[in-house]
Amino acid sequence: MIRTIAGLITVLLLGAAAAYVIPEMQMKEDLQGVGYTYASSGMEETGSANLVTAVIVAYRGLDTLGEVVVLFCASTAAVLILTLFPIGLKASEPSAIVSFTSRVLPAPVLLFGVYFIAHSQISPGGGFPGGAIIASTFLLVMLGSSSVPDSHGKLPAVEALAGLSFGLLGFWGVFKAGQFLNNAFLGTGTPGEIVSAGLIPLISLAIGAKVASEFSGVFTAFRNTRS
Amino acid sequence: MTPVLMTAVVLSLGGMMVVAAIVVLFIRDLFSAIIITGFISLSASVMFLLMDAADVAITEASIGAVLATMIFLWGRGKIGGDG
Repeated sequence: MIRTIAGLITVLLLGAAAAYVIPEMQMKEDLQGVGYTYASSGMEETGSANLVTAVIVAYRGLDTLGEVVVLFCASTAAVLILTLFPIGLKASEPSAIVSFTSRVLPAPVLLFGVYFIAHSQISPGGGFPGGAIIASTFLLVMLGSSSVPDSHGKLPAVEALAGLSFGLLGFWGVFKAGQFLNNAFLGTGTPGEIVSAGLIPLISLAIGAKVASEFSGVFTAFRNTRS
Repeated sequence: MTPVLMTAVVLSLGGMMVVAAIVVLFIRDLFSAIIITGFISLSASVMFLLMDAADVAITEASIGAVLATMIFLWGRGKIGGDG
């Protein structure tokens, strides 16, 4: 009960802070500074029709690399804890609905995840959500089978390779254009075409593979560890 | 979508999210609490979509509503089910 009240007080304090701050926020009619530069010349500079991806992968590519490192540390810690302290989930026989769904849905969802990653420079999408969608198909397959999957270290290999390729793509820019994670040296192409936007599709692919294998690895650790 | 309709949808959705968040604090059944948390995530992703942030909406739907809910459910399996 004390924890409930403490939680409620925290929520109310946060809500009061938000209520205090939000009226001060003003929606600016015109963009200024960095935002204006991104919005006005982002498409020409990066060749990406989706400005969100242009900012995440091209302009703020170094931040995204740091984010990938953070995710790597988090998933490594989660898998380590799950391996050291097995949680002993009872693997139950899947019901008829779950086992039917897990046979029908994974293929279209997997296709959607791949589409999401491959088209991140054209339409809303990107490596992180696409990888999460791909991981959810593995989750679905895992839920539908009563046996425990055995990855034999393939998932960590994919994860390491994808993370390494992100870094190597960055260093490629150092050699070709004298700038880490330079986006434009491959040519930016026509915005709106699938082969466009320089390095962005390749980096999205690397991020997608890394996120998908990380999440799948955590799920496998959840299912594998039984006491 | 007209501004009035937009405001109505956002207010009702946001109101449901606030009510659901308060319910999660007080509900005894852990399974219900997890499902309601997933509902809050899904509502948040609809909100992001209404604000034209499709990238964020799909990220929230896939990670917040699906994967996090699943991990919570497994954690519930670990601590015994009906805590």
